[in-house]
Parts: sequence; structure tokens; C-alpha cells
Amino acid sequence: MTCEITSRPLYLAGVERHLGDPGSGAVVLFVGRVRRETDRGRRITALDYETDRAFVLQQLGDLERQAIQRFAVRRVYVIHRVGRIRVGAASVIIAVAAAHRATAFRAARFLIEKLKREVPIWKANRWARSPAARRRRTPPPPPGRRSPG
Amino acid sequence: MKSSVRLLFFATAREAVGAAAIDREVPARGAILQALLSSVVEEHPRLEPVLKVSRVVRNGRYVSGTRTRVRPGDEVAIHPPYSGG
Repeated sequence: MTCEITSRPLYLAGVERHLGDPGSGAVVLFVGRVRRETDRGRRITALDYETDRAFVLQQLGDLERQAIQRFAVRRVYVIHRVGRIRVGAASVIIAVAAAHRATAFRAARFLIEKLKREVPIWKANRWARSPAARRRRTPPPPPGRRSPG
Repeated sequence: MKSSVRLLFFATAREAVGAAAIDREVPARGAILQALLSSVVEEHPRLEPVLKVSRVVRNGRYVSGTRTRVRPGDEVAIHPPYSGG
């Protein structure tokens, strides 16, 4: 059982070393990524994640213990990134190793749903400036010169 | 010797208060947490709706109820609804 909070990019390459267990016939990996989204013409460029560092590992650890007891899975690994995460990059990886695939899938689903509700992590949208806002910030052309068009 | 309680604000709670942390003096015998938070709401009315949906953590444990007592040196965190993942 391992859980981590990091401000560094997440890669699947490092995950497998947390799951080494010859008794596990199934490994399920869940990767949560920052999704491209628009709202009334505005576009999200990134999400800013924050956490209560003094409390978050305790909560993640509790969650992992619950998953192990409830589903009898053999290994659980959860890592969540905080700070600014750009669209397309991973924010969370959940990995579950179990004897059989059914329990591995169920436990991974349980972990991500519970994490969203019970682990002190928050995100805030970072919006791209709208074309109108960009125009407002564009300085006027110098005197005596015509703007193109 | 500490004579204050540290209040920590996260996410929308921090935005409402305009600070990540506030220290409040309390008597050595302690104070009722609810009263302490009400005094913060008086100064920062935007915190009220956030507080209604937040969880409160005292020294690493969730607390509930209005009679919870805090003592000098305690740390109280205001957790708005979580949105990780």
C-alpha cells in the first residue's frame, strides 16, 4: 500500500514497481487527466490543484486500507499531482493489483470515486483569455501608423 | 507558550477570507469553535455560505457539532467540498 502527493508530472512508467506481486493475475490502472473544456467561448488551459498537506496522506491511507479490506486486493498505489496541471496531463494515477480482474476493476472504481469525495484536494479552472480580453490588452498602434486591415 | 488557535482556509474558503491562515487569540481554558468561526464570518461575510458546506478538521480529525472546544495551539482547517481526481 502506497500513496503519494507530488507536484511533478505523473508517468505510468514508474507505477509497476509498486505492484510487484506474483500472486496478482490482474492489474488495473486508472489515469485521470485534465480535460479540454470550454464554457461560453472560454477555454480551460489548466487546472490548479491544491491540498491540505498535513491531512491528505492520512486520508489517502485510510482509503487504501478500506479498498484492501473490502475487496481483498493485494496491492494498491495512488499518486495525485498538485499545482498547475495543463490540459492533457495526468492529475492522478490509481493502480490496483488483485488475484482476479473483477476485484481489481471494482477496487479501482471504488478508490477514484471515494478519492473525489473524501480526500482533501481541490481544483480551480485556469481559463485562456477570451479574444475580446486579448483585444483590450493590445496597445493602440503608434501615432502616424495605420493598423492593418 | 501559544495563546492562539490557527485557522487554515483552503480553496473557496481562502478566497472568501482573502488569507490562507488566521491566528485567533483564545483563553487558556479554550473557546467554543462555533463562536470562533462566527467571529470570522462577521469579518468575512463571504465565508458564511462556504462554511455551511465545509468540513472542519481540528488537529487532523474531522469535528462536528457546535460545542467542539478549541484550545491554544490547536490548528483548525476549513475544507470546502473536495474536487480531486
